[in-house]
Amino acid sequence: MPIGNTRPSVRPAPAGRAGGPAVTSSPRRDGALRRRAGGGSGAERLAPYILVAPAVLIIVLLRLYPLVLGVNFSFTGDGAQNGTAVGFGNYRELFADPLFRTALSNVGLLVLLLPVAVAIPGLLATFIYLRVPGHRLYRSVYFFPAVLSPVIVGAIFNLLLAFDGPLNAVLGAVGVGPIDWLGDPGIAMFMVVGVHIWATFGMALVVFLAGFATLDAALLDAARVDGASMPQVVWHVIVPSLSRTIQFVFVTTMIGMLTSMFGLLYVMTSGGPEGATYLPEFYIWKQQGQMNRPALASAASTVLFMIMLVVGLLQIKLLERSGKED
Amino acid sequence: MPRLRLGRWLIAIPMSLLALATIYPLLFTANVAMKTRRDYILDRFGLTDALRLENIETAWTSVGLGRYFANSLLVVTSSVALLLLLGSMAGFALSQLRFRGSSALFLGCLAGLFIPFQVIMVPLARIMADTALIDTYPGLVLVYVAQFLPFTVFLMTSYYRGIPPEIVDAARIDGNTVYGVYRRIMLPLGTPALLSVGILNALFCWNDVLMALVMMPSAEHRTLMVGVTSLRGQYSDNIPTFASGVLIAAIPVLLVYLFLQRQIADGVAAGSTKG
Repeated sequence: MPIGNTRPSVRPAPAGRAGGPAVTSSPRRDGALRRRAGGGSGAERLAPYILVAPAVLIIVLLRLYPLVLGVNFSFTGDGAQNGTAVGFGNYRELFADPLFRTALSNVGLLVLLLPVAVAIPGLLATFIYLRVPGHRLYRSVYFFPAVLSPVIVGAIFNLLLAFDGPLNAVLGAVGVGPIDWLGDPGIAMFMVVGVHIWATFGMALVVFLAGFATLDAALLDAARVDGASMPQVVWHVIVPSLSRTIQFVFVTTMIGMLTSMFGLLYVMTSGGPEGATYLPEFYIWKQQGQMNRPALASAASTVLFMIMLVVGLLQIKLLERSGKED
Repeated sequence: MPRLRLGRWLIAIPMSLLALATIYPLLFTANVAMKTRRDYILDRFGLTDALRLENIETAWTSVGLGRYFANSLLVVTSSVALLLLLGSMAGFALSQLRFRGSSALFLGCLAGLFIPFQVIMVPLARIMADTALIDTYPGLVLVYVAQFLPFTVFLMTSYYRGIPPEIVDAARIDGNTVYGVYRRIMLPLGTPALLSVGILNALFCWNDVLMALVMMPSAEHRTLMVGVTSLRGQYSDNIPTFASGVLIAAIPVLLVYLFLQRQIADGVAAGSTKG
C-alpha cells in the first residue's frame, strides 16, 4: 500500500542537509528525509501531523470514542438507575421485547431478499453492457432515484400507496382490491423493502458497470465464437470475471439495508402497523428519542454493530480470497 | 462486442417499462403539485390544466419550507467545505508524505467507515448535549463532517496516490514549504476528485434525515428533509400541498443530477473500485 518506496540513493542527496548522519538508519527513515528536502525546521517536520490532525481528531472523538462509550452505556441502567451498572440487564430486556424481535426477524427477511436486490441491478447492468437499444438512456434514468433522499422517495410512495391513493384506484378499475399496502402487517414490510430496492438499485448498477469496464471483451467474443448462448455467457464468463464486484455489491447492499432505511420507515410507516416494519435502526431511534431509554437503545446499537461487524468481516474474508485469485 | 439480434429488442421492452416506472412517481408528484385539491380528488392521473404554482408558494411560505431550505443550504455548504478542506489535507499527507505512524492513522480513519451513525447515535447525542452543541448549526455540521470524513479521506488519499511523487519533490526543491505544496500543487491537482467527492457529500448531507432529527430538535432549526416529514401529519388531507413540499425538496437534487450526473456516477464507481 505505501508508495514512494523508491530507494533514496537513486537520487543524489543534497550535501550537508540536517540529519545527514541518519543515512545509515532504516530505509523508512530515509524516505521520510527525502521528502523533507528542505532540511526540516521543527514546523516542517510536524507538517504532516498538522495536516492529518483535524481529520483524525474528529474521527477519533466523534466516531471511535462514542463507539466505546456506547458499549459502556449499554451495561448501565436507564431512568432512576441512570449510571449504575446493570450487567446484561438491557440485553435481556432487549431480546424479550417483541418489537426488537420483530426488528431482528425483519433483518432476516432483508438477508433473504438480498440476492434479489443484487440480481436485479446485476442483470440490468449486463444488458446495458451488452448495448441493448437505448442503453445510454437506461443508465441515467435508473440511477436517478438513487440520488433522492429516502424522505422524498418515502413521501412519494406514501402518496401512491395510500389506501385511497392512485394505485388502489387503478386496481379498483380492473376489479382488484383495495389493498391496504402500508396498513396491513403482512404486506407493509415487503412494500418498504420493495421501495428501498426501487430507490437504490441504480447505485449497485453503477458499481456493476464500473466492474464491467474492467472486463476483457475478447473473452466474451471468444465465448460467442465458440457458440455459447446468452445465459451461458452470463453464467460462465461474466459472473466469474466479476466475482469481486458481485461480492462488493452484496456487502454494500446489505449495509445499505441495515443503515439507510430509516427515512423510508419514518415517512412510510413509522414502524407500524403493529410494529411490523421495525428495523434495528428505527428501534434505536425510538428508544433513544421517544421512549427516553438511552441505555436500552445503546444495547440495541451494540447488537446492530455486531451484525455489521459480521457483514464487514465477511467482506474482508471474501476480498482476501479474491485477492489470492488475482 | 457480443451481438444479440432479436433478443436485444425483446429485452429493451421490459427495460423501457422499468425506466418509465423509475421516473413516473416523480412526474406524478410534480403533476399533483400543480393541481387544486378538488382536481386531485376528482381525477388523480389527468394532466393538470394549468401550471399552477399556488401550492408550491403555500408550501414555501406558510408551511415554512423556505426557512428549512435556507437551514439546509447553510448546513450543507458548511459541511461540504469543511469536509473537502480536512479530507484533502489528510489525503495529501497520508499519500505523499512519509512520517511515523502514517499507516496507523490511515487505518484509524478507515475504521470510521465501518461505524454507522445508528450505532453511535446515543453517545454522540450525549456528547453534543454536554458540549452545548446540540440544536446548533455548528453541532450538526460537526456531526455531518464526522459522518462523511472517513469516506472523504479515503477517496482523497486514493486519488492523491496516483500523483507521481516527483511533482512534490520538484516543488520542494523550488523552495515550497509542505503547506505551499498543498495549496499550490495538491489542491489544484485534486480538483476532479474534490468535485466528485464534494457533490456526493452534498447529496448525502442534503438527503439526511436521521442525524438532523436527532441533533436539531427545535422546529426553527429543522432541515428541509425533516420539514418534509413534518408535512405528512399536517397536510395528509391536502395532497397537492404535500406533493409541493416533496417537489421543493427534490428539485435541487434533480438539477444537480441533470448537470453533474457523470461526477456522481464516477464518485460512486471510484468508491467501489478502490475499495
